Amino acid sequence: MIDERDAVIDRVVESLRPLPVVDDAAKARLLIAVAAERERDRESAMRRHAPHRMSRWIIRGTGVVAAAALIGAILLRNTQQTAAPVRTAVSPTPAPAVRLAGSDAGTDAETAPQSVELVLRAPSASNVRVVGDFNGWDQDHAPMKRDAASGLWSVTLSLRPGRHIYAFVVDDTLWMRDPRAPAAKDADFGRPGSVMLVGRP
Amino acid sequence: MTRPHRLRLLGAREPAEAAPLSVPSGEPPRSVLVHAARGGDVRAFAALVDAYYARSLRFALHMLASRDDAEEAVQDTFVRVYKALPKYEEREAFEPWLFRILANRCRSAGARERRRAEFVEYGDVPERPVSSGHDDAIAWREEIGIALAALPEEQREAFLMRHVEDLSYEDMSVATGVGVSALKMRVKRACDALRARLTEVDRD
Repeated sequence: MIDERDAVIDRVVESLRPLPVVDDAAKARLLIAVAAERERDRESAMRRHAPHRMSRWIIRGTGVVAAAALIGAILLRNTQQTAAPVRTAVSPTPAPAVRLAGSDAGTDAETAPQSVELVLRAPSASNVRVVGDFNGWDQDHAPMKRDAASGLWSVTLSLRPGRHIYAFVVDDTLWMRDPRAPAAKDADFGRPGSVMLVGRP
Repeated sequence: MTRPHRLRLLGAREPAEAAPLSVPSGEPPRSVLVHAARGGDVRAFAALVDAYYARSLRFALHMLASRDDAEEAVQDTFVRVYKALPKYEEREAFEPWLFRILANRCRSAGARERRRAEFVEYGDVPERPVSSGHDDAIAWREEIGIALAALPEEQREAFLMRHVEDLSYEDMSVATGVGVSALKMRVKRACDALRARLTEVDRD
């Protein structure tokens, strides 16, 4: 079978060969989708093997750290390759990263969702979102609102008591943990998210 | 005992001009990355995405009409790669395995595109950007895009795998599930069609 190239086919190939410009936001979405998949797998495994509530939290926390690490690993690579689009800073007034703003109605205090406010100072950002195990690492679930005067971004979430891992996504591409919350460090993978404890685990 | 690196798995036939595909000195060979990712190393998986994203997107962009659909197909591909890695046999070459998943996703997305197109009224959206004629190079690229899009899907896929992605016919067979002889015929027919159409354009 003849598979010969001539000048015309060479020109076609030459035109088609250049690699496209990669949109970092699309790549970030890809990794978030993979991390969410990983989280779903771990949740399934947890349901199969850990019948007790406390054990579930422990396993869930481990899985989420790994999921956050996956996203963090590549987003860190991206941010190392390109200049960070925004500068963020810790608020000069020490404050807990997580403020419990009240408890939702519920008869079971151990499982009833609670309102949690997350705050980030990022005056030059054009958008900030919260991703975490509580929203499937989906960037569209928790957009933060900006206070023009202070440059603070905030969002109030309704979360079940327990240990949660989360991070901020700034301007669609820059992944960062909450500078005012404990880091969910994972010795194997390096870059973690942040940890918050809601209610009493 | 340490397993030997299977260097054949990755990179041996990659085109020299595709810079992101080369492995910079100091980074592990991709076979090592695949092995580590299969073992659950998330950094290795992220590095694989880095290594293959642009090339996967190139293929998807040439197979599909819209960039959104192409990015979605590539995203779906890597999610499926991630899920399927535990079942991946390392004696298989990684690249054709990746392209098998990618080509499947592009075929599915292509079918969706065609269904959507049935609901677009004639005249709403031009099939391809129309050349302004002010730049011969741009006009030529547009003609190539039109000629490529006019090929039957299986010929376009075979042509791209062979001549743009530099896969061997054996690897293409793994990627498509089609025999080598049939693939050679598809590539030949694609070349003939492109040659005929673009030679015609050159005469205008």
